[in-house]
Amino acid sequence: VTRRAVVTGLGVVSPVGIGADETWSALVAGRSGIADITLFDTSGYDVRIAGEVKGFDATQYMDARDVRRHDRNTHFAVAATGEALRHAGLLDGDRHVVDADPDQFGMVFGTGIGGIGIMSDGIKTLLERGPGRVSPFLLPNMLPDSASGQVAIEFGLRGPNMAVVSACATGGHAIGEAMEAIVRGQADLMLGAGTEAVIVPLAFAGFQQMKALGTPIDPDTGAYDPAIASRPFDATRNGFVVAEGSAVLVLEELEHAKARGATPIAEVIGYGSSADAFHMAAPADRGEGSQRAMRAALARAGIGPEEVDYINAHGTSTPLNDRYETMAIKEVFGDHARQLKVSSTKSMTGHAMGAAGAIETFACVKVVETGCIPPTINYRHPDPECDLDYVPNESRAADVRVALSNSMGLGGHNSTVIVRRLEA
Amino acid sequence: MSGKPPPRDPARRAVVTGMGAITPIGNDAETFWRNLADGVSGVAPISAYDASNEEVRIAAQIKGFEPRDYIDFKAARRMSRFSQIAVAAARQAIEGSGLEIGEHNRDDVAVVMNTGGGGMVDVAEGQETYLQKGPARVSPFMVPMLSPSMAACQISIQNGTRGPVITSVAACASGVQAYVEAQRLIEHGDVDVVITGGTESAIMPVAFAALANMGALSKRNDEPEKASRPFDAGRDGFVFGEAAGVMVIESVEHAEARGAQIIAEVAGGALTGDAFHISAPEPSGYGAALAMQRAVRDAHLEPEEVDYIAAHGTSTPLNDATESKAIRSAFGAHADRLAVSSNKSMIGHTLGAAGSMSALAAVMAIRDGCLPPTINYETPDPACDLDYVPNSSRAADVRVAIINGFGFGGQNAVAVFKRYNG
Repeated sequence: VTRRAVVTGLGVVSPVGIGADETWSALVAGRSGIADITLFDTSGYDVRIAGEVKGFDATQYMDARDVRRHDRNTHFAVAATGEALRHAGLLDGDRHVVDADPDQFGMVFGTGIGGIGIMSDGIKTLLERGPGRVSPFLLPNMLPDSASGQVAIEFGLRGPNMAVVSACATGGHAIGEAMEAIVRGQADLMLGAGTEAVIVPLAFAGFQQMKALGTPIDPDTGAYDPAIASRPFDATRNGFVVAEGSAVLVLEELEHAKARGATPIAEVIGYGSSADAFHMAAPADRGEGSQRAMRAALARAGIGPEEVDYINAHGTSTPLNDRYETMAIKEVFGDHARQLKVSSTKSMTGHAMGAAGAIETFACVKVVETGCIPPTINYRHPDPECDLDYVPNESRAADVRVALSNSMGLGGHNSTVIVRRLEA
Repeated sequence: MSGKPPPRDPARRAVVTGMGAITPIGNDAETFWRNLADGVSGVAPISAYDASNEEVRIAAQIKGFEPRDYIDFKAARRMSRFSQIAVAAARQAIEGSGLEIGEHNRDDVAVVMNTGGGGMVDVAEGQETYLQKGPARVSPFMVPMLSPSMAACQISIQNGTRGPVITSVAACASGVQAYVEAQRLIEHGDVDVVITGGTESAIMPVAFAALANMGALSKRNDEPEKASRPFDAGRDGFVFGEAAGVMVIESVEHAEARGAQIIAEVAGGALTGDAFHISAPEPSGYGAALAMQRAVRDAHLEPEEVDYIAAHGTSTPLNDATESKAIRSAFGAHADRLAVSSNKSMIGHTLGAAGSMSALAAVMAIRDGCLPPTINYETPDPACDLDYVPNSSRAADVRVAIINGFGFGGQNAVAVFKRYNG
């Protein structure tokens, strides 16, 4: 009997809202979460905008002492996990997991960088006040797996536990690997998730110096407008916008979900992973590596390209990514590419790095659940090299059975995840 | 998850065909193994920076590593040291395996290269530049260099492999997880070859300050070679080290088709979580024991068939006692017939690379019939009552060896290696 991985819970902390419902209604409404940075003083910086999570109070989700010791990426992870577990009906009032064997409940919780906020604070302390003042909690809590460790501790999940890292492709890898763990029988329940909190001075300086960030100037009017900075597939796009957040999918073996009377929202049916073997920061010509990830995911799902209805694109809003991703989609899908709806929710959320693939797979799950496709906002100037249906500016009702999420990362990582509406 | 896992396709068994290592006791796999078997310590006073006024002044550093022996000068300059040593060890492993990577097979070669912290050194340098000179002077290469996934990417880029490139981080369990993941990728037919291992290089003031303030490090500064003493009653913490270990692992059918020499088999593995504390092990050792039991079952073996455990054995008071208890609870009476040793007694704790060091030790123990010792074992601890192969190596017929890795946050990983019998 083939084991199938279904989604039974969703949790999100994103620049467009705290909570899955908040985030989804913002995406459907085409609301941008990009604004001036408030998390640190940006004087001296050329780029001063980001997709910050707004109004987030970590002490609502974690003990205040743990909040102090942990990085913001871990705060997001714990908050999103709590929501996802509650949504799945797996949490009682005291935040204990119910209806599941904790030894059979694991996670793949990815991040691009991990605790760079507390790490750079630690280095500042070291330089200014000496080694004796460096926090004893720095090392365990700055490591990229500290979110996955703390989430396991908070909720008592003792099954397989990994933190995958593949820069901006992380979220897709995490959900794909979590699906595989269920299908292979390593666990009955897995969180597939990503988290990131990189809006700190040092990381932001690094991003700025890579000269890949979008600017908050309206290309038509010249007016200052942070919300216009991320405009994937638009001919005037000029870079991505750094964002933060976390998304958690509760994946569950179908029979396990049925046995406890849970309502599956969608099924994760495909996962593909590949490398460009080309360059640290630039994508391979014509998105060649991404093509192989999409093909591998289709093969794993056992479906033909014509069965895919919607693609949530990586669509970062950099000149090269969006052009190559368009080419890659056309190569893989052939004539069917014209029928596909493709949108980039990064137009609203910005690019949340290691959390992006998880936030976007969340969007795919909502698309197959609700039959509503979130738009690519800020789309005004067609680019002859980006000639697909990007669902411009307004969300659209559509019958979507199968949705695919693409992610590509620095270093040439590619991951693709495919979800399908649950059919009897 | 009760009962036996489904039977395995014999052709998709995963076997080791090449090994590479850059370590505190040797910059290739054979030198590393010879020194490990001879009980040579790689711990010495820190030379990477001036530590003369610090609380902890000793480390297990790599000696005499020249990136240019393995990597083009310009590429090496844009690579963090944790990536450089990983690329170097991978090159040795690929050459040793005789594997040619080209158009005919590059899509079917994966890289699984794990680490604990990635480019922490680059974060520190970047932060110093940022604080002293402002954001505009921060290197545009900082973000790609520090990314923990970059060692895997650089192995892919340098060798032209285009299958999956995966980095998973589980603190000190990272290295072990790599072999578990590699075995699964091969068993499930995702790829034919996986270049896999662990890497870590963070000999830097902030890491030492933080670990020392946690109380995790040995302060035996005056006797560096004696500082790492796993399972000994006088142990007072671990010695921080740097290393990279890499293996070429492939399916039996692929190895046989190209006439490769098979060194050992990666027979299975398991991961579990303690769900307990960010740095302390759960005191009963439940999660660690569960991982050992599941790993042995995943390998289609009985606990009584295990001959050797390359222990996590960090030399902290808590880990070594809990791990001993976990081994007892996983193996029952057989625990008294097992040999257990900790290579950390010689190379210190290399965090994300530690599992790759134990993997090399396990495979070599199977290949050569030799158990590497736990050095500095002088005073028995009643809480650690197993056979730790004290102080000198020992000849033994090792058919099955398991490696343990337990990480901060309660991540437990165990991988199983066994002699390849065709």
